[in-house]
Amino acid sequence: MTARAAPATTELAARVQDLSFSYAVPGGEERLALDGLTLEVPSGAVFGLLGPNGSGKSTLLSLLAGLRQPSAGADRSADPRPEVRVLGQPPSTALRARIGLLFQETSLDPLMTCAETLWLHGRLFGLGGRALHDRIRALLESVGLAERAGSFVSTLSGGMKRRLELARVLLPSPELILLDEPTTGLDPDAEAALWARLLEANRAGATVVLATNKVNEAEKHCDRVAFIHRGRLAAEGAPAELKAGLKRDAVWVEWPDFTPALAEEIGAWEGVGRLTWAHPTLHATVDAASAFVPRLFQAAGDGIRAVRIRESTLEDAYFDIVGASLAEGEPAR
Amino acid sequence: MSTAAACAALLQRDVRAVLRSRSQLYSSMLFPLMLLAILGTGVSEGLDPTLVRDGDYASFLVPGTIAMTVLFSSTFSSASYYQDRDCGLLRVLLASPHEPRVILLGKALAGVSIGGVQALAVLTVAAAIPSIDLRWQYGPAGVVAAVGGVLLLALLLNGFAQLVAARIRTMQGFHLVMNLVLFPLLFFSGAFFPLEHLPGWLKALAYANPITYAVDILHLAVYAESSDGYIGLPVDFAVLVSLALVAFLWGFGRRTVYQP
Repeated sequence: MTARAAPATTELAARVQDLSFSYAVPGGEERLALDGLTLEVPSGAVFGLLGPNGSGKSTLLSLLAGLRQPSAGADRSADPRPEVRVLGQPPSTALRARIGLLFQETSLDPLMTCAETLWLHGRLFGLGGRALHDRIRALLESVGLAERAGSFVSTLSGGMKRRLELARVLLPSPELILLDEPTTGLDPDAEAALWARLLEANRAGATVVLATNKVNEAEKHCDRVAFIHRGRLAAEGAPAELKAGLKRDAVWVEWPDFTPALAEEIGAWEGVGRLTWAHPTLHATVDAASAFVPRLFQAAGDGIRAVRIRESTLEDAYFDIVGASLAEGEPAR
Repeated sequence: MSTAAACAALLQRDVRAVLRSRSQLYSSMLFPLMLLAILGTGVSEGLDPTLVRDGDYASFLVPGTIAMTVLFSSTFSSASYYQDRDCGLLRVLLASPHEPRVILLGKALAGVSIGGVQALAVLTVAAAIPSIDLRWQYGPAGVVAAVGGVLLLALLLNGFAQLVAARIRTMQGFHLVMNLVLFPLLFFSGAFFPLEHLPGWLKALAYANPITYAVDILHLAVYAESSDGYIGLPVDFAVLVSLALVAFLWGFGRRTVYQP
């Protein structure tokens, strides 16, 4: 996997400072989704927001789109002054004309056709006439749905629906594209096609911000990523920067009987980096798996069920920095 | 972004959806016409002829049938908020560069248009039935008054429906509340029986009922041969315009509970 080169510009497409947001929950209580988050998204970047489920990624996107207003953080006594700037302005209804937003869940009327779906969106974004019809035709062509222009959305497959939603996002040529889990549920071909369209828009000047828990996807396509954990920024940088300092090999060991006491012992071995544990898997970064694994078998005996080894990736950096299971959203131990 | 263009696009989309939903389209018109035919004919046979003009209850029922059509149509149209919410489209609409009230206004205009057209279609069919005797005492001005009454009632009911929809989370709950509130209002509006013979307390309730004034307009414009025993068009329009405006601005002048 190769990360893309960082954008040359120093302008910011988005900037948030001391941003907090709480959801009201039944019983009059509040659930803190973002807690004093500070983050900068360079203009022209493909920027990944990584974090386990419920870490606040989607909330951040809705705040950037101006669909929600910041609220007080956990530390109310500190009186932080939240600031959100998007495309150089505070988020507003009018600013949404320059923003494309793809929701995590399918957001299509099943009883409208593909062309009608795009037409309605175009009209809401001030497009019309011949230009709108030409744009709709071109976009349906580019996402491979030209033949289905007159088909009802209810007749489309999941992948086709996602492509139609992407076409809808790109229709008004947004300067900032906010994507929430854009490739969830897509097969590899559909995922590659979707990314091809997105990167094309990015080359044309759009900044792309995507919330995802697919670390491989972020490593492959993003030139900067931010790890968000429990509403806070855990780390931010280019994938290569975040991987710097990691041990060379990553080892996953399926070891149901692993205990914290063993972690202390193994962590003291020479050439062993950080250990994280999310039942039943132990994750370790090491200098050389060829030396680490035999020694592990000696220590564990029959307790180990499976071992997987590969070169360290952004996912390892995530485990290393956040210490949480991306797949399961479980807290670090 | 043009608010008018956005409203027009939403109106076009909702009208197209109703035209595609043939069962909804036909049933919301057939039910009032069936009521007119069956209830109107049946009651006419056993009615004291002095209670309604010439004992012709079927003709008396036409204005009430039109009001009922608007009521059904407004309820169905407003229920589309729930369909849009559940399929996720409402999220996308509210994330467009328009205030939520613009989105809701566009949808409400669709509801008013659809309700108005359906009600006037019912009136046209009813007027074509040979046994129905409509007097149109004001001539062409009566047609204008009837259309005005229908549109004001649709505006009032759509505003009210939006108020309910913004507070009730489920479509089932919405229909329950709408039926619970609107059906009694329809019964005490003079739609099904003349108000002049009611006991005082019931008459007072009827005069506190907004739908009464719409039904009065329709009775005066379509059915009655004089204004004796009716509230009168000036009062009807003054009350209805005020209430429709209040309901519409209240229903659409605030952020809804729907969060993208």
